[in-house]
Amino acid sequence: MRNRKTKLWIYLFLLPAIIIFLVFFLVPIITIFITSFTKWDGFNSPIFVGFKNFINLFGKAEFLISLKNLLYWSLIAAFLHVGYGAIVAFILYRKPFGWRFTRSVFMIPNVIAVAAWAMIYRFFFNNDFGFLNNLIRIFNPEFNIPWFYNSPYAFWAVTLTWLFYSVFVTLVILTDLMAIPDEIHEAARIDGASALRITFKIDLPMIKNAIGTGIILSITSRIAMFEAIALTTRGGPGDDTMNIPLILVSSITDMKYGVANAASVIMIILGILTLIIVELIFKMRKVEKF
Amino acid sequence: MKKILTVALIILLCASILIGCTETTDNSDPTQTKEKATETKKEATEKPAEPVEEIVITIPHYKSGQNVGGVFFLPQVERFNEMYDGKYELVIEEIPQDSYQTKIQQLAQQGKLPALIEGADKNWFEDIAIPNDMYYDLSTWLDENPELKARTLVDSLGYNTIDGKVVAFPLTVVRPIGLFYNNELFTPSKPIGELSMDELLAEFGDNKFAFMTVENAWTTSLMLTAIFAQQDGGPEILKEGVLNQKSDYTSKPFIDAFTIIQNLLQNYASSNTVGAAYADAANSFMSQSAAIIANGPWMVGDFAAESSDKWSNGFTGEMATGGVYPGNIAIANTFSYNWWIPSGLPEGETEAALAFLAFMNTPEELEAYMLAEGGTAPNLTPSDEYVTALSEKRLLSELSLAVNSDTIIIPMILDIMPGSVANEEFGKLLPKLIDGSVTPEEFATILSDKAVAALAE
Repeated sequence: MRNRKTKLWIYLFLLPAIIIFLVFFLVPIITIFITSFTKWDGFNSPIFVGFKNFINLFGKAEFLISLKNLLYWSLIAAFLHVGYGAIVAFILYRKPFGWRFTRSVFMIPNVIAVAAWAMIYRFFFNNDFGFLNNLIRIFNPEFNIPWFYNSPYAFWAVTLTWLFYSVFVTLVILTDLMAIPDEIHEAARIDGASALRITFKIDLPMIKNAIGTGIILSITSRIAMFEAIALTTRGGPGDDTMNIPLILVSSITDMKYGVANAASVIMIILGILTLIIVELIFKMRKVEKF
Repeated sequence: MKKILTVALIILLCASILIGCTETTDNSDPTQTKEKATETKKEATEKPAEPVEEIVITIPHYKSGQNVGGVFFLPQVERFNEMYDGKYELVIEEIPQDSYQTKIQQLAQQGKLPALIEGADKNWFEDIAIPNDMYYDLSTWLDENPELKARTLVDSLGYNTIDGKVVAFPLTVVRPIGLFYNNELFTPSKPIGELSMDELLAEFGDNKFAFMTVENAWTTSLMLTAIFAQQDGGPEILKEGVLNQKSDYTSKPFIDAFTIIQNLLQNYASSNTVGAAYADAANSFMSQSAAIIANGPWMVGDFAAESSDKWSNGFTGEMATGGVYPGNIAIANTFSYNWWIPSGLPEGETEAALAFLAFMNTPEELEAYMLAEGGTAPNLTPSDEYVTALSEKRLLSELSLAVNSDTIIIPMILDIMPGSVANEEFGKLLPKLIDGSVTPEEFATILSDKAVAALAE
């Protein structure tokens, strides 16, 4: 009886969250799925066209380039972005001198809007007066590369706008590291384990869920990345830095809401796939017991 | 008591979520269409007359802030507000130029179009706005104001008249777009319009053009238009294309024009061309880094003493000379949609919007406009004051004299392309043409593929 009452209270407290989910997430997602199979200009009634929007998307060179870019960015995110965040977390975990200050400074880029960062990088990479090229010209006066407008540099210039801002990954990993009981480390040290061995044999296995979460967050951010590209290369030069959100927005500009929603559906599917794959690789459902 | 309070709070929270969601206008229903617009219109006309009070209309517009068009437009709005003080007030909400049309399209979808809109994306206006009767038919109003109607350009009135309805206010002023050159950096042997492109380049020496690749690559696309118009069949393609947009740019005139512009971009472009927006191109010219900038007569404001804060590196407004393009070519398009008013507005707002259109096109305002931004009003008899004032405006007089009866006036090359190709893809692809990673032929093929996709069903 008491158990039933507790459950009732749990459901009651969950109700507002469920309503918010239904109204703000589920209904729009269902609408997106349905209209992705239609030709819809956003004003007149949608007309059912089956899989035409998806077929057209996969037939577009810019969409295939977007998928290729997403694959590269996902790999960079999973290995370099998360890797960098994890290294910072491990350094902070050892609480070296000034670690609190470093942690705060590391946070700063995340409190600045992505759009503002994009503008800062436009100036940073500017060929005429940008900091980077002027620095390089001290050694090579003939150096002339408009980073955001030349391939393959544009891809890497866009990548650099987010690569080192991995504070969320650091915080998630740091929290998990701090939750490891000291006794485990102490026992390992008594058994003669080196610091490196402790990191690889104890810490890393115990924070695998945090690393998995970091990878999921990082890759899904790449799937949804918009401002960093729209305000710098706009997908150029040509389509070299194109991604799916840009296709989505340009489809909306062309009043092709069916195509835009098909792109959204693909983004949702890619996000879910990322979640499943990372969960499987990191066996995230398996609960570690200390 | 505690439990009751908790349950009450949960219910209140749920109710507020639901109420919050249902009270707003539901725009998510994909089936909301013309009926909704008609309904709104009906509601608006059925509204009982309200007591006389000032009608305030707020419109988003790019001719504000730092935009060069704001120099004339904002004071004009002020004059309108003064004239109709207590009756109408027009308020301008600043918006960047390159997101103006997108904003309008989004507002249209939400059924929240502002009372006055300048211009429209051709495809969107013809495919969405006109079939859905989103415009206020100006035909009756123009018939009731014959003097005003007489000032409109015949071609423009014809273009804006669809099935007997006038969908947008026709042009009254035509402003041929040419170029400006720095007369200290570059002294042509004769007026530029009388030179061929080859002759111009032979005399140009080490000078540079103020080109750009960002936004719609405006100054670059103007020069490309002038080059294209010199190719065999070029002017005809442009004139036909502005009525029926083209999606194939692989024919010889296009390839030849792309080849010439590639040469200009690689060898005669200012150093900041790649990645330059309009402000950068203008800055190149007004800092003596470039000797020629292709642009419309509205730029003369930048060469006036009041704009001297934009000059640097010894540049002065006196150094600018106006002219047309090599081959005696100027760019103007009378086949476009100009100012329009949405349907379904409350009567007072429609009246205010009509009053502003009428105000803008009074002889005094048209003359003030032409003195500020150039152009000619073929159906307006100029006043003596205007003729005198124009003769004192060196640059405007030069531009006016440069256009003669032999001048080939053609629409812009971007006007024959679908909006997304003209405004996005063209500029995005230019860096590749500049660095040589695509040939002019590949450039043409890629743009054509984009245009086909944009125009596809």
